[in-house]
Amino acid sequence: MSKPNVVIVGAGFTGTATAHDLALRGFDVTVIERGDICNGTSGRTHGLLHSGGRYAVKDQESAIECIDENMILRKIVPQVIEPNGGLFIAIDEGDLQYGETFIAGCEACHIPLEELTPKEALKLEPNINPNVLTAFLIPDGTFDPLRLALSFAASAKANGAKFKTYTEAKSLLMDGKGTVVGVKALERTSNQTVELRADMVVNATGAWAGEIAEMAGASVPVKPTPGVMVVYDQRFVQRAINRLNAPGDGDIVLPQRRMVVVGTTSFEIDNLDYVPVIEEQVQLMLERGAELVPGIRNAKVRGKYTATRPLIGAGEGRSAARTFKCYDHKETDNVDGLVTITGGKATTLRAMAEKTADVVCEKLGVHAACATKDTPLLSYRQYYNMPN
Amino acid sequence: MIWRLKVDTQHNRPSPSKFWNWFNPVGRQTSGWAFMLQRVTALGLTFYLFLHLIILGQLANGPQGYDSFIALVSSPVFIASELIVVAGAILHGLNGIRIILTTFGVSVTRQKQLFYALMVLALIIIVIFGIHMFTA
Amino acid sequence: MSEKWNIILKVLRQKQGETSHFDEYKMDADPDEYVLDVVERVWAFKDRTVCFRHACHHSTCGACGMRVNDAEKLTCITYIREVTRDGGTLKVEPLRNFPVVSDLVVDMGSLYRRLEAVGARSVLPAPEAEIEKPPSRWSSDDEQYIRLADCIECGLCISACPAAATSSDYLGPAVLAGAQANGLKLNPELLNMVDSEDGVWRCHSAFECTAVCPSFVDPARRIMDLRTQIFKERVGGLFRKA
Repeated sequence: MSKPNVVIVGAGFTGTATAHDLALRGFDVTVIERGDICNGTSGRTHGLLHSGGRYAVKDQESAIECIDENMILRKIVPQVIEPNGGLFIAIDEGDLQYGETFIAGCEACHIPLEELTPKEALKLEPNINPNVLTAFLIPDGTFDPLRLALSFAASAKANGAKFKTYTEAKSLLMDGKGTVVGVKALERTSNQTVELRADMVVNATGAWAGEIAEMAGASVPVKPTPGVMVVYDQRFVQRAINRLNAPGDGDIVLPQRRMVVVGTTSFEIDNLDYVPVIEEQVQLMLERGAELVPGIRNAKVRGKYTATRPLIGAGEGRSAARTFKCYDHKETDNVDGLVTITGGKATTLRAMAEKTADVVCEKLGVHAACATKDTPLLSYRQYYNMPN
Repeated sequence: MIWRLKVDTQHNRPSPSKFWNWFNPVGRQTSGWAFMLQRVTALGLTFYLFLHLIILGQLANGPQGYDSFIALVSSPVFIASELIVVAGAILHGLNGIRIILTTFGVSVTRQKQLFYALMVLALIIIVIFGIHMFTA
Repeated sequence: MSEKWNIILKVLRQKQGETSHFDEYKMDADPDEYVLDVVERVWAFKDRTVCFRHACHHSTCGACGMRVNDAEKLTCITYIREVTRDGGTLKVEPLRNFPVVSDLVVDMGSLYRRLEAVGARSVLPAPEAEIEKPPSRWSSDDEQYIRLADCIECGLCISACPAAATSSDYLGPAVLAGAQANGLKLNPELLNMVDSEDGVWRCHSAFECTAVCPSFVDPARRIMDLRTQIFKERVGGLFRKA
């Protein structure tokens, strides 16, 4: 019997992770991506490996996903992670009050935390605001966005998955009875059109998921919500520094190589393909970031950019749940052969892939268990070393 | 569209035929100019070596050859050419010292300043040589 | 956008099996935005066929290296102001010394293969990431911290290196820098790899790698350090044998 064949549209975090999961389960996988790996939202994440602390109060489902996946990623892909932990720091009375609910939230979500005195916190991180009132140590981290995805892609490739980059999905092939049977795509390197037949098409296009689903007359309630990030040219801290308060603008400063990244904001847009940087928000990042790490006031801006989160479900902007969802379009729109995965966070990419692969297995009647939790990923460089 | 270049996607690979890149001044850094100077002076000095042997070969043509040789080497044009050779040797030698030093880890972070200093030194030596050669 | 410049963006275009040519695009650009933003706008609004590589937009992934007005730049952190003027042109071409995949995209497989061969570490203890002790204004460089290495594997150094242009087997600055961070001591295999015709001795001291490196790796300095290490290992080896 030949292997069931799946085409994944999108090679961001979910696309590459799903390719890895399905390839491990014995599927014949082809990933198409209109640019290179991670050219959309995934590449532009600030790179915070969430401990879940950020969501422990209001969005505990996401928080639990984060802490579980954080621990798994540290184990399976240490080659792309700065595992130095994070601090939640209180600067004013409001922050202090939030502390109580924060402790309760972290306990409920089994997120390990340790309270530090201001003195202890400043000894660990001398460059944080000297007026820090209290601090909590939690297991945050930083990852390299592109190389995280490449590690999944390399491992998928080693198990036979094919990656067709610079190949843009133009339409979904239908069988005339409302079932998706493949993808028609444009190879942008040669301007040739190709048709890829598939037993199942996985739409892993994140914020663009609505556009792909629409090609089959289906819909996805995804709300693209960009945020601005600003990068300064000094590594002031070794840990991710979070404001001890409800999620807000510019409440995270995290180290990466010789830089710190300050993020982020939340706004709405019409055009997904190009999101301009809003100068007022860059200013806001400086103001808010300097409350956490005053040194950035005197640092040079190295980069500023936007990334578009794929938010799903109820709630606007900040209050929207950060969990993910896998849609079987047979159930939602009576379109068979198409599954969409969107929402979620970079930290939960593996769990998103597991869920998606479960749905694909169930729909195609394949019995195979997920093995990604305990499978160390290959070096991201192997992605370029293996022929397609 | 400005111009078309007849190439395929392979043209961008490294290849020994791209040695002309060594002499392409576009987009060079200071250290790149030093690299280029080293190659140009090296080629010039090699060329001179052969020229030198050919001209010296004239001496074998007896007394007449000797006289025409002396006439040639005392002409101002010849002296000017000789000065160019001397300048090439000085530039190549001093820059060579810089490369030897940096190879052994000396002044690697100051290689640019070292280059400028050595070039100033080279200029001074060349001027002294010039004065000496034209007034002697 | 605070200020608006009119610039002409010239992009070297090349599809598989076709000849290359420049396409010109009239663009509005803020002098304080980045070259990559303008290239991305060409794709978003003017010409969907332009292929270019990009991911993080903040100099941590190394995907967006290009030649901008004949110099290698990491385009996500190169301000328009630095490379052109109002009414000026901006020429973008793919990196040199790598085969072109399409337009501005090159195949950097050779670089990744060699980095893997010398075991270049992508994360390492913070003090080992530095070629010398970092300035004191940074937070403590305690052994316990692990961080991503400086090298973002963008290939700019390979593109700028005149030795890499003529020798397809030269390991190249980024790879030698990765080897240097590992050290040659007690690593005879690595020692033999870098102490070879296509290792450190292929370098001819143009220092272009260090000049274009966007990520503070200083490959030239690391190559020179490798030479010193080789010298020590080889000379020391003579005495050990004797």
